[in-house]
Amino acid sequence: MGFIFKRVAQMVAVIIAATFLAFTAMSYLGDPLFNIVGFHASVDCDAVLAGEIEDVSGQGGTDVGDCEVVEAAREKYHLNDPLPIRYGRWVGDVVQGDLGVSFKNSMPVTTIIGNRVPKSIFLMVVAEIFALLIAVPAAIRAAYKANRVFDKSATVSSFGFISLPNFALGVILFYLFVVKWQIFPSRYEDDDFFSRLRSTVLPGMTLALPLAATYFRLLRTDLITTLQEDFVLMAKAKGLSDRWIMFRHVLRPSLFSLVTVFGLSTGGLIGGALVVEQIFVIPGVGRTFVEAVIRDDFPLVLGLVTIISSAFIAINFVVDIFYSVIDPRVSRET
Amino acid sequence: MSAPLVSVEDLHVSFLTEQGSVRAVDGVSFDLEPGKSIGIVGESGSGKSVTAKTLMNLLPSYAQVEGSMKFDGRDLREIARKKEKHFWGVEMTMIFQDPMTSLNPVKRIGEQIAESLRVHMNRSRSEAMTEAGELLEQVGIPEPAKRLRQYPHELSGGLRQRVVIAIALACGPRLLIADEPTTALDVTVQKHILDLLDDLRKERGMSMILITHDLEVVKGRTDEIMVMYGGRTMEEAPTSTLFESDGLHPYTEALNATIPKIDTPSHTRLVPIPGKPPEIIGKIIGCPFVQRCRYSTSECLTEMPSLVEQEEGHFCACHNPVGTPEGVNAREANQNAGYTPAGLDMKEFETFVRADTGGL
Amino acid sequence: MKLNLITTRRGFRDLSSQDEDSSKIDDKKREKRKIGFGFWVSIVWMILVILAALLAPILPISDPDQTGVGGRLDSPNWDNWFGTDTNGRDMFSRTIWGSRISLTVGFFAIVFGFAVGGPIGIVAGFFKGATDKLLSIIIFILFAFPGLVLALLIISLIGQTLAVVCLTVGIIGVAPIARLARAITISTAEREFVAAARILGSTNRRIMIREILPNVTIPMGALAFLGMALAIVGEGGLAFLGLSVEEGFSWGKMIVLGSASRTLQKAPWVSMFPIGIMFLTVMSLNYAGDRLRDFFDVREMGIGGG
Repeated sequence: MGFIFKRVAQMVAVIIAATFLAFTAMSYLGDPLFNIVGFHASVDCDAVLAGEIEDVSGQGGTDVGDCEVVEAAREKYHLNDPLPIRYGRWVGDVVQGDLGVSFKNSMPVTTIIGNRVPKSIFLMVVAEIFALLIAVPAAIRAAYKANRVFDKSATVSSFGFISLPNFALGVILFYLFVVKWQIFPSRYEDDDFFSRLRSTVLPGMTLALPLAATYFRLLRTDLITTLQEDFVLMAKAKGLSDRWIMFRHVLRPSLFSLVTVFGLSTGGLIGGALVVEQIFVIPGVGRTFVEAVIRDDFPLVLGLVTIISSAFIAINFVVDIFYSVIDPRVSRET
Repeated sequence: MSAPLVSVEDLHVSFLTEQGSVRAVDGVSFDLEPGKSIGIVGESGSGKSVTAKTLMNLLPSYAQVEGSMKFDGRDLREIARKKEKHFWGVEMTMIFQDPMTSLNPVKRIGEQIAESLRVHMNRSRSEAMTEAGELLEQVGIPEPAKRLRQYPHELSGGLRQRVVIAIALACGPRLLIADEPTTALDVTVQKHILDLLDDLRKERGMSMILITHDLEVVKGRTDEIMVMYGGRTMEEAPTSTLFESDGLHPYTEALNATIPKIDTPSHTRLVPIPGKPPEIIGKIIGCPFVQRCRYSTSECLTEMPSLVEQEEGHFCACHNPVGTPEGVNAREANQNAGYTPAGLDMKEFETFVRADTGGL
Repeated sequence: MKLNLITTRRGFRDLSSQDEDSSKIDDKKREKRKIGFGFWVSIVWMILVILAALLAPILPISDPDQTGVGGRLDSPNWDNWFGTDTNGRDMFSRTIWGSRISLTVGFFAIVFGFAVGGPIGIVAGFFKGATDKLLSIIIFILFAFPGLVLALLIISLIGQTLAVVCLTVGIIGVAPIARLARAITISTAEREFVAAARILGSTNRRIMIREILPNVTIPMGALAFLGMALAIVGEGGLAFLGLSVEEGFSWGKMIVLGSASRTLQKAPWVSMFPIGIMFLTVMSLNYAGDRLRDFFDVREMGIGGG
């Protein structure tokens, strides 16, 4: 139990670090005022309001009146408080379930995210499933008859898929299946489960193919290594069939690299989703994130960062637990 | 003399590699009767493990096998070709040198034993587990119920090897092949395991092939001994008569002489067999042992000796076996010349001479 | 200076088990492992691409910004080898000019990644203890957090200049490089020749430079190729999202321009050619890196997914 507690603590620590970083970065480097008030407060409004600067004409169109608006906005959004306090206040809000309100249209962040997240999650889950469905049987077949035709062609094509950037693959798939052969719809439809699935096939495959290539290579290598172990020889001496040996002796111990990469690949998948959502115009978290960042939509960005890093860390956590389940040698004290 | 259970005749096994054909086994022949045991003795590279694996159909695809192997009158190569599902592991089984790597580290002990029972003997899960527990008792493991649920890394080396034996015996085989079963174990444990194997064998009337590089292991244990060198059978004889008879193979004699005895004074130098091991690529001409043999004559350089029955049941592949007139003459001739026909300096055998008189 | 290298060249390994008979066969089969013809093909391609990029101003190709060189969206022909885009600009010359930015980002990202990540990894692996723990945590966060997300944040906040883009991609590259450097350092530092150097009185700094660094460099060489491939892809992705350099154009930008539905319908080559060239370049880098890694048998390397 101590194991789990420790990991949860680690999780929380990393999330705090990530959000604090984002918070700080946005505060110093972005200008939230621009989005609220509509212009860049290039004039030193503190000085103006203190009466130190009289004539502000010709400086970006600001005057004392505008400075008062700026000051009011600052007060309203607590932008005058020191950083740690602002962060603390934000954390307090989050814990209560309030992620703030988008600068753009004053919609609650939680609502916006809640709207988009399911679509992105659906996409990523579908992608992972596709990837595993392709990679695992292929790796087994390739390892079993290593260096023969199937293995060689699979290895070469997996190499190709790794080298092709996901946006390029997306464009190619889009071109072939939507534009040229018109098999799949060009818009994202999710009236019911099946149309949603249909709309997710292409983007899912775009994410899945490079992922499958990586999974394939890793699993194949591990399988081949495991196949050289003595206990495989022993199993053969017991007269067990090749199929039995492969699925009940060799597969499980060979899954380690795959499981590790599975966890780590979530990061890449999220990044890939950003791109894929642009190509296939899916209203998911990725697109929202890109737009929000460009707009300096502070609360939205922060909310998204929180969600994304939490999800990511949670997945890695699950991977860790899964590890200790499949390998009894892994001590649970780590 | 009943019909032999195992009959191997002129077995040749080679591996196709990029450097050419590698001869691992180059002419092995022996018979084994039901209920008897034979010890196959040889140094590293002599081909003994490959012989065992060939019998068990465990060779990789680039191996080429020639010759005949029969089990209970049935051709083993046919059985392999037909991919019979319930032969290997049932009639014939094998155990290997390192028990740690022979067991699947992520599976429980009980499961690994029960596997054979479920696959071959149609037992249900629970039946198989019960039997597995009984097997653990038979191999002398205390607290079998607890052990069934443990993983291999939780057991000591000796216990693990017992588990391996239990696995091998699960389906009641008629032949057990043990490839260096004690080499990876502590010396004290070795004897226990060997004794265990003997007991089990006698209880079940099982035949056994015991493979080892250590002559001591088989002396006084197995019914027969077969000595291999350079992939060939050099000698095969009942253990009881092997060292008493004339017509002993020079290699066997050398092996015996180089064993450190418990009562030799300390600081006595270990005696190696002079010369180098043979090449295994390409065809060999003459006897593979000629490089290291003090009984060699020029014939040995060109003619491969065939396995000849010297005395009742004692086969030897040598032109000039120890104790025969040819042998005595050959050694004297070499002694006088100072060199063997292969170019080996007779002085290298000095320590041998001392060991010789010390008591063969 | 004699190099104490711990990477080895592995020979052929067959699927039989490990016992004395087979090990003898292994020894016989342990021939020299060749780096392969494909490796050199990749290198040649890379040199071609780099040369084309460097010499672009003096090559006899059209001005990439010049509109109306051909018709609009002409298919590939003798005048315009890669066809023209929506504004009638020559695709071939644009592809070459576009490579300049893509390659620059790739190159600088790696240089930065190594310059920063290498020392971090070596120091962490060498001194271990608290230093290692601290650095490792930083590395882990950097490594685990989605790269593209991080890049998004940085670029949108700071600006979209070439320098920023290079730096961002570089920062993302620091983590895997540091991780590898650390792993190699740890295994090297345990070797006898390091202990020997220490006994002979070498300072820590000297040991790091003279003993550890050479051992780290070679596997890193393989990683450099792979990393550059990833950096180019990264820049492409950013360009696709509209976050790469504002001025000028790179492969990624060209691809996104050519992937509008109507353009794809009428003139797929506008995006397909840059895709093709980028693919070949990235694949060459990947392949070369892979071959290097195999050749020197580095086991600790694993780029993992994404």
